[in-house]
Amino acid sequence: MKAKVAFFDFACCEGCQLQIANIGEALLDVLDKIDVVEFREVMSEKSGGDYDVAVIEGSITTKHAIERIKEIRSIAKVLITIGACASIGGVNGMKNNFELPEIKKYVYGEDEKYFDSVPTMAVDQVVKVDYYVHGCPMYVPEFVTVLKHALMGLPYKAPEKSVCTECKLNENECLFDRGLTCMGPVTRAGCNSWCVNNGNICYGCRGMLDDPAKTGQIEILKKHDIPLEWVTNKFNMYNKAKDVKENENE
Amino acid sequence: MENLVILKKEDLNDFVMQIARTKKVVAPVRKGVKSFAFEEVTSGARIDLDYTSTILPPKKYFLPQKETIIEYDKRKKEWTPTLYSEEIVLFGVHTCDLFGIQCLDIIFSENPKDFNYILRKNRILIIGLECSNYCDENASCALMDNQNPNGGYDLFFTEIDDRFIIHVNTYHGEKLINKTGLCTKADKRDVSELRLLKERKRNVFKNEVDIPYAELKPLFVNAMKSKVWDEIGEKCVSCGNCTNVCPTCYCFDIIDDINLDLNTGTRTRVWDSCQNGSFAEVAGGENFREDRGERQRHRLNRKFNYPVSKFRRYFCTGCGRCTRACVAGIDLKETINALIEEKKGNENG
Repeated sequence: MKAKVAFFDFACCEGCQLQIANIGEALLDVLDKIDVVEFREVMSEKSGGDYDVAVIEGSITTKHAIERIKEIRSIAKVLITIGACASIGGVNGMKNNFELPEIKKYVYGEDEKYFDSVPTMAVDQVVKVDYYVHGCPMYVPEFVTVLKHALMGLPYKAPEKSVCTECKLNENECLFDRGLTCMGPVTRAGCNSWCVNNGNICYGCRGMLDDPAKTGQIEILKKHDIPLEWVTNKFNMYNKAKDVKENENE
Repeated sequence: MENLVILKKEDLNDFVMQIARTKKVVAPVRKGVKSFAFEEVTSGARIDLDYTSTILPPKKYFLPQKETIIEYDKRKKEWTPTLYSEEIVLFGVHTCDLFGIQCLDIIFSENPKDFNYILRKNRILIIGLECSNYCDENASCALMDNQNPNGGYDLFFTEIDDRFIIHVNTYHGEKLINKTGLCTKADKRDVSELRLLKERKRNVFKNEVDIPYAELKPLFVNAMKSKVWDEIGEKCVSCGNCTNVCPTCYCFDIIDDINLDLNTGTRTRVWDSCQNGSFAEVAGGENFREDRGERQRHRLNRKFNYPVSKFRRYFCTGCGRCTRACVAGIDLKETINALIEEKKGNENG
């Protein structure tokens, strides 16, 4: 029997779901293995709560979203987050650079009291997550890998090494040597250095390594004469949500 | 002298094009602002013979970053070993990298032999290139005695003025030269100019670190408890750049992948690195080299200590890539100097 898979979105651009719709030929193989019962972006049917696997895009930014994700978790046997917003908080976390009442006022003006808002959280800051697909947008080959692991009931963990490792294997010229500031050394690998391969820097969208070797990172900045603020500013673009303490939004 | 032939520089483009008609030719080309890489070429146009060392050494052709070694089908209970190889002419290899390939040959020819490596290697024709000067300040080829060739090539090009003087070292090399029909025999003048260049090189390449070749191993043997490793460990971020770019690092991991049908799949061999935190982790969570300094110490002992005991040769080529590739600025020559200083300090105090 095929696994029933439902896709849900929270605060996000739905770009990761678009990535899935755009997989191409492999999508046929994917659909051969799963039964998509809910996927707002590509079909109008609803699952009515009948699903085994929940695929979540987006971060948790309202009290309503907290309740909704808890309900989804209570039904799903397996929960997969896709993309930076769901997996680490993503760009929505930039909200957390400000005091909540202050930023609400800035965005909604006098009507701010009508809007429900809490500091941005990744999905795993509210409920248990079984599998993560990182990236902004999510890296499609990693989604396929995660899906296979989930179907076989095996654990999957993104490689615990930095983007530099994959970048070097792709023989990209080091961006630090070109005078640029790159998040590669502190960012979790698994994207095959997608951005650098295509002429961009790494923005750290896959989140920070579990153990980034702080003293070494400071050496890198010293060697290339880069102020610490430049890096923290760049890093906060995707990784600010993780500052929210557990139960802070309850 | 009969093993020496001449190719005019203006004929290099024709030379490469002729070979590329029937074989894959890879050569150093510019990559980015100041980096180089071995890539496929079809003419001489993109080849940059003034290159400093390439980002990855030519080992990527002998031991691909990712190599399928088995294809399997669970339903049929079938395991099929696979072998990937192609005919390649590897053009413009510096002497340090020739040494690196020789090291890999030794490793993969040991019993049990690695047939994937050996069969691939047998289909690669190697054309070396003489260095008349240093790549940059990171190289330590004179320390490792690799500024001159010690075999390991089919043809060896030395650039002098308007021509290349080519040493024909193997039957395959000779066949290639004859096939192009572009080379002429070298004469006495060529031989004497070649000798002059070698003499000039003696004044250019000088041991970059103040330690004799033979003293290197004892230096590392006695430095197991050195504080230098702690200092390097503080700098290291374990990105693995130093091992990935090393011409003699050959450690690999084996990964089983399954296709979406959840029945067929592949077993692949991928490059691994002793700098990864999990490299020496075993079942139960025990990690033999948890500390970054220990991992760096291990890496350098695998160059300057262990292989000398086992194969009677250093596994450092002096190419300088590990220093060039380190984002945190860990420098091989600085490290060796720090060990020397520490040793002197211990002897005096």
